[in-house]
Amino acid sequence: MGVTDMIKFEHVGLRYGVGPEVLSNVNFTLEPGSFHFLSGPSGAGKTSLMSLLYLGQRPTRGLMTMFDQDIGSMSREELKEIRQRIGVVFQDFRLLNHMSAFDNIALPLRINGTPEKEIKDNVIELMEWVGLGDHQHMLPNTMSGGQQQRIAVARAVITRPRLLLADEPTGNLDDEIGLRLMNLFDQLNRMGTTVLIASHNQPLMEKFKQHKRLILDKGHVELLTPKKSVKDKIRGAF
Amino acid sequence: MLKFAKNTGILGVSHDRQRYDLPLDKDGGSLFLKILIILMTFLAVLALSGSYVLSAMKERWSSGLENKASIEISAQDAEGNILTPEEINNATDNIFHFVKSHPAVETVTIMQDEDIAALISPWIGDNIAFDQIPMPNILTVSFKKNVEFDTTIFEGRLKIIAPQARLDTHESWLKDVLRFTNALKFAAILITTIIGLITIISIAGAVKTRMEVYHEELELLHLMGAADNYIAKQLQRYIFFSSLQGAAIGTFTGVVMLLIIKLAIGQMDMGLLPDFSLTLTQILSFVLLPVFIAFLGALTARHTVLRVLRQMP
Repeated sequence: MGVTDMIKFEHVGLRYGVGPEVLSNVNFTLEPGSFHFLSGPSGAGKTSLMSLLYLGQRPTRGLMTMFDQDIGSMSREELKEIRQRIGVVFQDFRLLNHMSAFDNIALPLRINGTPEKEIKDNVIELMEWVGLGDHQHMLPNTMSGGQQQRIAVARAVITRPRLLLADEPTGNLDDEIGLRLMNLFDQLNRMGTTVLIASHNQPLMEKFKQHKRLILDKGHVELLTPKKSVKDKIRGAF
Repeated sequence: MLKFAKNTGILGVSHDRQRYDLPLDKDGGSLFLKILIILMTFLAVLALSGSYVLSAMKERWSSGLENKASIEISAQDAEGNILTPEEINNATDNIFHFVKSHPAVETVTIMQDEDIAALISPWIGDNIAFDQIPMPNILTVSFKKNVEFDTTIFEGRLKIIAPQARLDTHESWLKDVLRFTNALKFAAILITTIIGLITIISIAGAVKTRMEVYHEELELLHLMGAADNYIAKQLQRYIFFSSLQGAAIGTFTGVVMLLIIKLAIGQMDMGLLPDFSLTLTQILSFVLLPVFIAFLGALTARHTVLRVLRQMP
């Protein structure tokens, strides 16, 4: 059964402990199958918003739904099911350095119990696609930043998630590889995956200007559609 | 069993390969934990064997002296007058016939002159003229099991026959010895329990430390949708095999130490101590000790991990 809203925030607030709210009164909705960029100046709360989205935190107030389910009232077991539908590319990659590149990418499949034969076929295919076909047995900390980033991306998409969250996924990549990855995200999006990419890469966002943008500033979110004067708005935010 | 555990994945082992998602076996903490378990198991083996030896001593003393008594026919009468050997022998015969006919008595024997001579020869030499020196007589009595009778009344009857007769049921000193042995045994069991508790606390501490050290990796697995059980299995498998290795070495070292002690005791003349050998059940307990510690460790790890993970959103 399809979902009405992939992500819905209504008056969502987040604070850490007894500190001030880092996100306050955040409202936005992402439809299933949509593609958004998330931008905003440093300190705007982008990391906190991403943390809410990949379910690293629960909101301290307001209504947050994903896949039409209220995150605030879900049990830990139910959250686990939701997490398995989300692919995340972290800004700092968060690769496991004691594991080979192959095992890092295979990890989400092993967690959800995919048979080893299927894991092998899928991982090898994806590694070749991201240009790391001959790096299967290498440890991440022996690879370049760009290669690590590609492993992180491959790990996020290996399960064909219904929601893909990526935090600066092209930050360490050259233009050609960055473009290839964006095309991969675009391809996944066309196959039905909802994509949200946090990025500062203006030229890249311009190349994919058909997609909507969320501008986060001072804990608030504004949704911009391509019809509006996006360029000016974003430039203004920085 | 280990192969089965690995192949079936019941201990959290990935199918077809050995793998930890967390770098658990890549740091020095593993060695520390193993050394700790080696030490604890070594001490547990010694404490356990101590309790086994004490049990054997208790059993030997109890079964050796239970339902037994000795009757001394003194060489002096109640007023302190020295009796003649003939008077002593007459009193001994009277007592013997009374005791032998008593319904609670199974056997009664009079200690022979040669045995008494052997007992007292260190003090008065080997050439003893029993017919000239008034010597006390001793009767050894075995009572029937499960036959209740009052030893006070029994002793009263003896004193009527021969006022200088004295009944020694060994009860007074045996009770003290058994109480002391029981206390030692309790202490040995208590020490074993404390060792077990320290092991559990240490393992829980080690697991918690690991979880703090690898917090980011744990969070990553959690965010990927790994079930608590999936993560817990990894740590419980790691602790199971670390504990098994440590406990096996500790048990082996402990048993070697016991053999050395047995060898040392074997060269001494210690009549009070029982033979330092183990029963089949006791040997089995040492064989199973590493497995028990490994399972205890795995359970502790599982409980600790699940408790920590529940604090994550």
